[in-house]
Amino acid sequence: MTSVTKSATGFLPRARFQQLIDLLVEDGRTVIGPKVADGAIVYGELRSVADLPKGMGAEQRPGAYHLHDRGDDRLFAYAVGPTSWKRFVFPPTLDTAESRRDENGHVSFGRVRHEIPKLAFLGVRACELAALGIEDRVFLGGPYTDEDYRARRSSAFIVAVQCAEPASTCFCASMGTGPGVRDGHDLSLVELADGFLVSPGSPAGSALFERLDLIDAATDQLTAASDQLVSARDRIGDPIVAAGLHDRLLAQLDSPRWAEIAERCLACTNCTMSCPTCFCTSASQRSDLDGHVAVTERRWESCFTKGFSAVALGGNFRPRVQDRYRQWLTHKFASWIDQFGTSGCVGCGRCIAWCPAGIDIREELNHIAPPPQAALGNGHAPEGQPRATRVFRVDAARSETHDTVTLALSRPEGMDWASEHGEFVMVSVPAVGSVPISISRRLPTGMELTIRAVGPASTMLTGLEHGAEVGLSAPLGRGWPIEAAEGHDVVIVGGGMGLPPLRPVIDEIVEHRAKYGEVHIYHGARTPGDLLYTQELAAWAARGDLDVGVTVDRADQHWLGRVGIVTHLFDHARWDGSKAVAFVCGPQRMIQATINTLASHGITPDRVFVSMERHMECGVGLCGHCQMGPYFVCKDGPVFSLAQLGDAFGREGI
Amino acid sequence: MPETEAVMPRTDDNASLVALLNATWFGANLPPETQVRLAGLARRYQAGAGTTLLAEGQLANELGIVLSGRVSLRTLVPEEGWITILTVEPGDIFGQSAVVAPYRSTSTVVALQPVDVLALDGPGLRAALAADHDLAAELYPRLLQALARRLSATRLQMLDLFAR
Repeated sequence: MTSVTKSATGFLPRARFQQLIDLLVEDGRTVIGPKVADGAIVYGELRSVADLPKGMGAEQRPGAYHLHDRGDDRLFAYAVGPTSWKRFVFPPTLDTAESRRDENGHVSFGRVRHEIPKLAFLGVRACELAALGIEDRVFLGGPYTDEDYRARRSSAFIVAVQCAEPASTCFCASMGTGPGVRDGHDLSLVELADGFLVSPGSPAGSALFERLDLIDAATDQLTAASDQLVSARDRIGDPIVAAGLHDRLLAQLDSPRWAEIAERCLACTNCTMSCPTCFCTSASQRSDLDGHVAVTERRWESCFTKGFSAVALGGNFRPRVQDRYRQWLTHKFASWIDQFGTSGCVGCGRCIAWCPAGIDIREELNHIAPPPQAALGNGHAPEGQPRATRVFRVDAARSETHDTVTLALSRPEGMDWASEHGEFVMVSVPAVGSVPISISRRLPTGMELTIRAVGPASTMLTGLEHGAEVGLSAPLGRGWPIEAAEGHDVVIVGGGMGLPPLRPVIDEIVEHRAKYGEVHIYHGARTPGDLLYTQELAAWAARGDLDVGVTVDRADQHWLGRVGIVTHLFDHARWDGSKAVAFVCGPQRMIQATINTLASHGITPDRVFVSMERHMECGVGLCGHCQMGPYFVCKDGPVFSLAQLGDAFGREGI
Repeated sequence: MPETEAVMPRTDDNASLVALLNATWFGANLPPETQVRLAGLARRYQAGAGTTLLAEGQLANELGIVLSGRVSLRTLVPEEGWITILTVEPGDIFGQSAVVAPYRSTSTVVALQPVDVLALDGPGLRAALAADHDLAAELYPRLLQALARRLSATRLQMLDLFAR
């Protein structure tokens, strides 16, 4: 036996493969690798080489997966099964935060930190290395990061295996991720008829490599490995043209194929659950019986569930299966590139084999967006990590309407509030959960939040009184670009609960009135009893330098003000919109009517800013709920210019 | 329903009626001869707050243009009382049933504030629209625009957008 030098390739006879497992265990690692369970090859803990699927093959077709005996001794002669490494770096369920309320009503919020197991992943395929690389961009690329993921990911030792037996569902070659292992591993293996070629891929891999009893690789073994790879690549072929798919796909948002697929798709979520890169999650609260301690549990979620894009009071931006399928496919192959600088697909084929309806995304992509031309967006730069929840105290609660309350909250002592920008905060209450609420006024000591009781959390918040404590994230999201309005006329249109997010803009204008030209403030509400900030509106109107209009959708005979939709306030107005900047917030349909009227006054889309409503759960672009085309509304918005939104604004099912 | 107050007619000469018409959204920028023709059909009146200017189901004898003040278009809903569907602000019109068969008002029009109204005689306006195609070509698009705007606004009101 000859020892081989670092960075060379050695040969490990199959009979000695246990040594690799033993060394990993000796290093204190739990070894995770492929094993047969429930009629499939899945990833689980390996204690011995005997746990590996020796001589097993896996036939995979759209909607089909069958194991068979190959009649040989190979340990890795099958393509990937239904599980992926995602579950070991990004667990399907994870307690992320804990909140407490003591006997005196004081609340506290903390992160749940987990002991990170020292794992070794044995048998990671090239497509799976690429998937881990993609998850790194999602969770660690910023501006917010997932520290639990970082810890799990960095503690894992990765032993890659070159694919020799691709399945008919594989298309890694098209996605540029395989079948050859290139990087992202500590050690790589190529399985040959009687053993393994072993190469180190990192310093940690080199250290282990040195400890293995390897023999020099023979030339014919290197040739066999090369032939094996070429054969695998030939069998995979190049079923889709990935270059230019981004643009081709986004050009087909109105394809009739989406509705056709929806007739076959069961929206069962198998594709997203088996996908090695899908990262969407939802959070729920688990509380003890008296509500003193509550734990936030994060679990994998799918954009195929109906509730995924649901907002308060039954609204849903993607109510149809065709909307959800389009969201998934266009995200995976197009807007993912805009968000993270890489495709979200690695071509592993899991979503094809494990789709009970046998929907083959290669076929769908080729049908919807046939070939080519390239375009890649920019990725995120790493910056920071999720911010802590801090305890604010309710100084005052003022009733605005029968179901709406404004809370004045003071910041914790010592917090540098002045430097905190952002449009909304995630408000947390122990045992209730978190909800996004727009800041309706910035105060030197804290902020005001105007909250309408529409669900359990908001109903609870509207019932808070002086002295109560709540948890707040730092201000999040991009707010109104008030600086764009300096030197211009300003039109502010707030419908219903759309006015509170605009109130800080009005405050800013009032404070620095000379910086702005004519200012028009229009507020529409459902009934006179639903009008917000009535005294402030009257005070603003009384100044004489703000044009304030108020209208309601319906009223009884005692109301002497205006009745009609909010655009009635200015559809005959004589102001000239060519010099104006508009800020609009309210229900999407109201925004649409408003921008039509604004356009008739000459305000161009680049000078109209709107705030978009979406289901926001994490607030930092990591849970996936609030996606709208290439944007995460919580992080990239919620305020966008119409020009920025393009034809995504108002499009059905986006 | 508020009690009806006295309606005060005014006497204005044709030229001042044209000037008033020209100051409204509905009457602005019409050809001079059209404005003169309309002024010939017009009378001006003022009414106090609470005055019922037109009642639902009654013959609409005049097309009203609000010069100042605010009027409400109401309908009586059993068990809910009088519901205001829309308010009409200065420059805009009410009583357009005066030019649309069967010429009966589809809502009750009540002054919410003291109002100044320019009223075009319904039968006279209908006759003029039938006989004078130039006048009709100028006026009908404005009538349609006013009605279309109200139609789309009513749709949005029906959606009850602020309920959620």
